[in-house]
Amino acid sequence: MISVKNLYKTFHNTSGSVEVLKGINCDIAKGEKVVIVGPSGSGKSTFLRCLNLLEEPTRGEIYFEGKQINAPGVNIDQIRAQMGMVFQHFNLFPHLTVLRNITISPVLLKIQSREEAEHNAMALLKRIGLEEKANSYPNQLSGGQKQRIAIVRSLAMNPKVMLFDEPTSALDPEMVGEVLEVMKELAADGMTMAVVTHEMNFAREVANRVLFIDGGQILEENEPKEFFSNPQHPRTQDFLSKLIK
Amino acid sequence: MNRSLAERLYDDFIYQKRYMYLVRGLGNTVLITVFALLIGVVLGAIIALIRVNYIQAKKKSPLLVIANFLSGLYLTVIRGTPMVVQLMIMYFVIWASGAPILIAIVSFGLNSGAYVAEVIRSGIQSVDRGQSEAGRSLGLSSRQTMAFIILPQAFKNVAPAIFNEFIVLLKETSVAGYVGIQDLTKGGDIIRSITYDAFPPLIVVALVYLVIVIGLTQVLHAIEGRLAKSDLR
Repeated sequence: MISVKNLYKTFHNTSGSVEVLKGINCDIAKGEKVVIVGPSGSGKSTFLRCLNLLEEPTRGEIYFEGKQINAPGVNIDQIRAQMGMVFQHFNLFPHLTVLRNITISPVLLKIQSREEAEHNAMALLKRIGLEEKANSYPNQLSGGQKQRIAIVRSLAMNPKVMLFDEPTSALDPEMVGEVLEVMKELAADGMTMAVVTHEMNFAREVANRVLFIDGGQILEENEPKEFFSNPQHPRTQDFLSKLIK
Repeated sequence: MNRSLAERLYDDFIYQKRYMYLVRGLGNTVLITVFALLIGVVLGAIIALIRVNYIQAKKKSPLLVIANFLSGLYLTVIRGTPMVVQLMIMYFVIWASGAPILIAIVSFGLNSGAYVAEVIRSGIQSVDRGQSEAGRSLGLSSRQTMAFIILPQAFKNVAPAIFNEFIVLLKETSVAGYVGIQDLTKGGDIIRSITYDAFPPLIVVALVYLVIVIGLTQVLHAIEGRLAKSDLR
């Protein structure tokens, strides 16, 4: 479904340039759940953000359903409409109600009528047990509630793949569980997922494959059982040994 | 000073309905201020969008480069020259003839637009980058994201500053008399020139401005209070 070939990304800033991704190759098949782990600053978030071109690759190719998306003339908005993304800081729209947060995109893009979109949104809210929050504003919600709503906001577009960029890192510990629960249900429903996270238990339970990124490269990838019990690369061993079990 | 204050006040304001100079003057002042602010906000929003677009665009089209250059030139000229001079140039040089009020509205509007543009630009740039990323990740175009996600939040952020510009503009229109417009200040000045009595008319003019500004400032505080509350909703 997603294919990444020889991806490089360099950031330029006032103090010079930093090469964050150094030749990433990766395929994500339909229905697959890929969890991406690695130390901070390793480039794992940048990699994920390249998948829907929130970051534009410096070099390399990204294919979505066989079509190169970082080529000239591609309508990236149409591609992004099929790829959901969940952010670390939720990024709900504070000036809109929860219901409108969920319906704004399908309605503006004329994918659904307003009635359909609202009906759909209420069904999604019911699924996560937040239907009574439909007319609340984001600032009235807890972090866990915000993130669950951010997830269904993406789902309202019926995406073919969901990208999660550290979805639980900004949450209070007691709220992590409710968000992971929604993600697990989504995984069980067969959604294709790419998840950058520090939740190793989630990786163990849900992932088909774990990627370890460090220094802008995929140093190791394996199915989770092997990955956690028998890491090959010394850097992976080092990284995993530092995690609190 | 051989007249009583009562006689002076009668002469300055009551006799021959001279208070009408102030009433009509206030009408013109309000008229110019309100319409100039409307022009200023519309123009300011356009200029701000051009400049933000230019800053954010990865590939800058020639049209955008030209628009940005003209915007920069406009901001520099307007903010670098006195309002009175701009008004006189508009009146005596550019338009030479035409309804003075209209010329004043356009002049003050052009002037205000430059200040409002910078206010709105800072408002747009104060909206968290994650908001635009969220909009784009949902498939919205950059235009839709700007119109439905960024601008509503930006305007909310800068509403107090724009209202403040309204207050500043109200006082600034007092130079309209330079091109023969009878605004509130000129009204007081006309009374002074008729009666040769400067103190009461000018003090009354000052008081009228003061009362309006105090009233508007109360409204401003109310707006700020409501916005602060809605942040905590």
